[in-house]
Amino acid sequence: MAASLPILVEELSKSYPSRMGLRRFPALKNLSFHLEAGEILGFLGPNGAGKTTTMKCLLGLLKPTSGGISVMGHRPGSSGARACLGYVPENPDYDDSLTPLELLRLLAAMRGFDSGERVLKALLARVGLAGWEQTRMKRFSKGMKQRAALAAALLGSPSLLIMDEPTGGLDPAARKEFRDIMLEENSRGASILLSSHILSEVETICSRAVILARGRLVREGSMSSLLSIEDTYRIRASCSGSLVEEDIPTGELQSRIDSLRASGCEIVEVARNYATLEEVFLAATGSDSG
Amino acid sequence: MTKTWFVFILAAAAAASVSCARKADFDIAEIAPAEHLGEADIHGHSGEEAHGHDHGAAGETETGMHIHPAGSRNHGTQWFFNQPWAAPFVWGKMLRDTLVLAALSVTLAVSSSRRRSRRR
Amino acid sequence: MRGIYYFAVMTLYSLFRRRTVWGVAILTALALAGIASIPAYGLSGGGRFTVDTGLTSIEIGSLVLAIALASGIFPRDRETRIAFPILAAPLSRTQYLLGRYMGTALVQTGFIAVWGAGLVAIIALKGYPMPSDMAGALLLLGVEGCFLLAVVFFFSFWTSPPLNAPLTILLFILSQMSVRDFTGLMPGAEGLMRILRLLLPHMDSFHIKDPVAHGFDVSPVYILLAALYGLAYTAFMLSLARSVLLSRDLR
Repeated sequence: MAASLPILVEELSKSYPSRMGLRRFPALKNLSFHLEAGEILGFLGPNGAGKTTTMKCLLGLLKPTSGGISVMGHRPGSSGARACLGYVPENPDYDDSLTPLELLRLLAAMRGFDSGERVLKALLARVGLAGWEQTRMKRFSKGMKQRAALAAALLGSPSLLIMDEPTGGLDPAARKEFRDIMLEENSRGASILLSSHILSEVETICSRAVILARGRLVREGSMSSLLSIEDTYRIRASCSGSLVEEDIPTGELQSRIDSLRASGCEIVEVARNYATLEEVFLAATGSDSG
Repeated sequence: MTKTWFVFILAAAAAASVSCARKADFDIAEIAPAEHLGEADIHGHSGEEAHGHDHGAAGETETGMHIHPAGSRNHGTQWFFNQPWAAPFVWGKMLRDTLVLAALSVTLAVSSSRRRSRRR
Repeated sequence: MRGIYYFAVMTLYSLFRRRTVWGVAILTALALAGIASIPAYGLSGGGRFTVDTGLTSIEIGSLVLAIALASGIFPRDRETRIAFPILAAPLSRTQYLLGRYMGTALVQTGFIAVWGAGLVAIIALKGYPMPSDMAGALLLLGVEGCFLLAVVFFFSFWTSPPLNAPLTILLFILSQMSVRDFTGLMPGAEGLMRILRLLLPHMDSFHIKDPVAHGFDVSPVYILLAALYGLAYTAFMLSLARSVLLSRDLR
């Protein structure tokens, strides 16, 4: 089971030494979750919740204080794990003295991909950098650097994409382009761990989500189970010419419909109540503070 | 990491102590056989003196080179190139240091790799 | 090896597009012009003064270049987060270190070669006899340059660039000292000073400018052994640097 999961995190803890080194500040506390093959997992949490720390542990950039991590069945940072993942960092910044084409050419060569210039140019066009191939990245805006970083992450069609707020700072049209690329990659078979503060985006494209607060997992589940946290139905009925709306617990639904009909009301709509992801997020992360 | 460093420093200190006791790190002057010391002291100033004399003055050989006492230094260079007897000492010392450094490099590389793979 | 090679190429691109390298190149040209304009003074003839000054300048230039090239690489890579995506996917930390090192070492040895060629050209143009061991002296300066670069890399993984430069210069100065001079710094603790001196490199091994300037033959065996010693010490410093880098959290 573990070997087939793109990401498996078990009881992960990470603490940092304070400035004087006398105390340790816990950033992650016994965090456990997994990413299933072929899914897009939303990785949510307020600032300082431990999302980037977790991702850096997954990438082998940070050493866990305790706990276990498996990336594509390998140790994080090992050649086996590195070979099959693409990473889009938050605020990406490659060496800006390079052009994006040089960057991709060198990264492809480092990874041993036999990518011709046409393939690399097509990749740059796919992320919206057509016409900018030969421009040094020091002239790029933040959004263009993010596009270059996305192209770098997509090199070699990795089977696992780790994306740390890839669309932060992008305009709505660019966000849509990024989302479309993520969905295309996912339909190709790539598994994606997506950290984002743009909850509508996560709600749209992720099949599951985990929510962190203060280094702990506070909620986890499929998107439908997370959003249907209120086990109630909303009934809309027309009673004597006026519209009545009521939220009814599932167990009382049938009896309430019967009573409304008995009193001469016409049932207009019965629908399950769903929360927005923002409401779920605020409830989950707020509950942790207490 | 702390443990690796501790072991490394301990080993280095132990090696250094042993070496020190046997005068493994030496200037040529310290190990020069007595009969060689002073044999090349053509112009007769010691290595400690200020070096303010004219290079064209007395004390130069026919190639125009002035020669210091055996084992003493000239402008920061160990002046043994004209001392055939010194070659085995100098070459032996360099060879020994090279081998020790190469062995230390390999040990350090292997131990840090093992430590990193154990930690993950 | 492929990862190291292409990362070294990336490092070369980056270095040649930075002003630091070209600043050093201009200073070098000025220094060579200065050496070319030094009159013989009639002190010892045979261009001895030019050879001595030239080789010393190359040595100092090599120290400055090593600090300029390498002291800021890792701190900058970390600060600008360039290191993260590189270390996340294509490269291991060892490949990162060796790639960066190889790229900078190519620039360093390239500069030393250009400086050496400049010095040889000056000697030829002035009509001085060419010292027979000039190539050996330049080779050892090249080895010393690579060693200094490894030292700067080692310091760069745990100090800031402003601290790296004085530490490297201090090591450069102390490593030139004889055992007797070094123990003389603290006569009361000769044993301790001898241990410290044993641990420090013997950089005086790389300097054969005096016999070269005086037209004296230096044994090829000496040059070979000194070069091997320098390469072994370079490997040791890189192993230390790697050990520090492997143990670091890249926050």
